[in-house]
Amino acid sequence: MITTLIIVCLAFLGLFFMVTLSKGRASSSAVLENPAAHIQSVDVEAFRNLVDPREKEFLRSRLRPAEFRRIQRERLRAAAEYVSGAAANAAILMRIAQAARRSPDAATAEAAEKLANDAIHLRRFAFRALAQIYVGIIIPSARISPAGVAEGYEQLTRRVVMLGLQYPTRGVSSAL
Amino acid sequence: MTPTPHHYLYYYLWTAPHVLQAVLVVAMARRGLHRQFPMFFIYTVFEALQCAVLVGVSQFISSFGPVYLQVYAVGLAVSTAIRFGVIHELFSNFFRSYPALQQPGRFLFRGTTILLLLMAVALAVLAPGGNADRIAQATAFSSLQHTILGLDRAVTVLQCGLLLSLFLFSRYFVLEWRSGAFGIALGLGVFASVELATSAMGVYLKQWDRIFDLANMAVYHLCVLLWMFYLMLPERQPQTVIRLPEHDLEVWNQELQRLLQQ
Repeated sequence: MITTLIIVCLAFLGLFFMVTLSKGRASSSAVLENPAAHIQSVDVEAFRNLVDPREKEFLRSRLRPAEFRRIQRERLRAAAEYVSGAAANAAILMRIAQAARRSPDAATAEAAEKLANDAIHLRRFAFRALAQIYVGIIIPSARISPAGVAEGYEQLTRRVVMLGLQYPTRGVSSAL
Repeated sequence: MTPTPHHYLYYYLWTAPHVLQAVLVVAMARRGLHRQFPMFFIYTVFEALQCAVLVGVSQFISSFGPVYLQVYAVGLAVSTAIRFGVIHELFSNFFRSYPALQQPGRFLFRGTTILLLLMAVALAVLAPGGNADRIAQATAFSSLQHTILGLDRAVTVLQCGLLLSLFLFSRYFVLEWRSGAFGIALGLGVFASVELATSAMGVYLKQWDRIFDLANMAVYHLCVLLWMFYLMLPERQPQTVIRLPEHDLEVWNQELQRLLQQ
């Protein structure tokens, strides 16, 4: 009986998700019309500082274990917010890149292609980094190194600037 | 599973979607969509033909007896295999336009298939429909029915899961669907979800069998209409460019400097 209930719940959940997705397909036009309004500010340096192992070791040497764990958890929660913000920005940039990929201008289309690839990579890194950060929140003494996200994010912002130079995107890069 | 022969609603829901599929075949061929979605085209042709054969068998050979069930079982097996082909085609079409996703896409398809296969086997063992004692006690005819139902449920779990993973993947990476591919995936996904739910509920609510059959047929009808809508209507022109504001290189240079100083 429990197996049946699980199957039925999963089936309806799947159905609900697919129907919801079909309704949400048109919503990306709002993002394209005013991308800057949807992009949130993400400070790469602050994030890098939060996940710096030297900072972590410094705190560990200066604080009592219980206090270190509390502070480290807070730092990681903040880092997770930064990663989520960067991933959300990548999602918006992905929409912009897909619209720009259809541009008749070859240079713009090429820059958009690169931007799309970088956004995909960032989403992949963010997924893995978030998993690692959450492990770190549960076990604060565990070693994590999501600094690759910071590098990926920097690369992504460079692409946006490149894209913007050829094809202004309403102040998107200023928000990054 | 077996429709009541004199039930008009049954006959309508049984035949109408397949008549519409025949129309869809012609429309797809005319618009050249058979080259874009060859597996879906084969699936549509097969479904229309299978229905014609089953109607013929039920009317002129064995009503809804063993011969009908055997033909139905063979048809279901072929249709299931083609549906897997359609899902694979959707995955391939989807990831072809995103080089960065080709490797994770392949990994997703294989990984999800293996995981769902294990899940489907576990469900087939756990679900009462697959109970060995019950099958042993049953006649050859109902044993075949049980086997078909069990396999159908396992396959539906697999297909539903694959389609759902495709939707989740596209959602996470904000990937753009082409209208036709989206319609095909949505139709198959909706049908697989409803079929999965009704087949699971049918194990316990046997008295509702006829209602579940009707619900499945009605949903399939709806899905065929969905495919017609997405494949026959002209594709919506996607937003190509963002309206360009005044071009000001100086502002962009400032932005670039600020980024480099971060």
